[in-house]
Amino acid sequence: MAEHVILFGGPMGAGKTTAIETLSETEVVRTEAANTDRATADKDTTTVALDYGEITLGETDKVRLYGIPGQQRFDFMWTILKERAKGMVLLVNNDAADPVGEMLTFLDEFRDLYDRGGVVVAATRSDVSATPTVADYSAALTERRPDLVVPVFTVDPREEDQMRTVLMTLVANIEMREMFSAPAASAAPSQPAVAVAE
Amino acid sequence: MSLAPHLDPVVVDLGRRALLDMGEVSRSLVYGSFLTDDGFEVVHVPDGKVDANRFASMASSIQALSEAVAREVRIGSSEYVIIASDKGHVIQLRVPGHPVVLGALFDDDETLGKALSVARRCAQQLAASLADRPPVQPDAAAHEPDAAVEHAGAPARADAHGVPAL
Repeated sequence: MAEHVILFGGPMGAGKTTAIETLSETEVVRTEAANTDRATADKDTTTVALDYGEITLGETDKVRLYGIPGQQRFDFMWTILKERAKGMVLLVNNDAADPVGEMLTFLDEFRDLYDRGGVVVAATRSDVSATPTVADYSAALTERRPDLVVPVFTVDPREEDQMRTVLMTLVANIEMREMFSAPAASAAPSQPAVAVAE
Repeated sequence: MSLAPHLDPVVVDLGRRALLDMGEVSRSLVYGSFLTDDGFEVVHVPDGKVDANRFASMASSIQALSEAVAREVRIGSSEYVIIASDKGHVIQLRVPGHPVVLGALFDDDETLGKALSVARRCAQQLAASLADRPPVQPDAAAHEPDAAVEHAGAPARADAHGVPAL
């Protein structure tokens, strides 16, 4: 049985905890605290250490799902958790002030996870804010990181089918890269793949 | 909407007094800090010993993890956290009834038992001080800065752990 450790990253309020709750087959371990920073995200609680859940994909792949805190002040947890991870689902909130900028910031921060396995971007709350579109995210990725191949989805983190599609895409990418053992540095530059889950 | 503890000057002042009193009782206190559940520093003493914001964030994570473990193994609520090392120990515990955590670093001159005792007393002192804080009168509130008015008039909000906001 193959095992994967996948991080769910992204800024505060993007839906990381919800996504793990949706996907996990086991009771999710949560470390939430009362949120005193309502200016950044208007919600009651926020993750201050990690979320943890598990899911089995197919008959062979067990995936350990770790949600990380979204705030920079918890970046020590990012360092701890990414040591074992092979990939990341990067969630961004489409109605944030600068979701494209936040995506690029997190992508830079977790670049080593891309090199090690893969990253998939999942934009949430596109029902609230129609822009940026998937094409906008892809264009920004192509301009800033033409060497990366990062699928982009729009998702509702409460919808299991959509989150499974995102996760399976990431796991497939990781397994393909392992199979071919192609160093990212030697890969030819290519356009980001684009997929839409909604 | 009530003021967050780290933005409330009354909480900061009462917290500083409680930390200074703890330092008087225990000379081996290297560093003490009150922090919010979500990792914002409320107040610390003394300056310059530790990266205050970093300590608050890490203490918040450790507190939440310890409580998650206690829940997982069904041993009730976590009362305190101890990190013991050969050069000292860190003790963390909640301020009763408030979404605030005390984190205290002692050197190895202090016994763990005494450090735990003074830390607990410090947390209780802040809780008692907050309970005794005088209510703001409506007339007085009209002349206070906006923040004070907002704090006085706001209903208590339950946090993730079921305790009212300050």
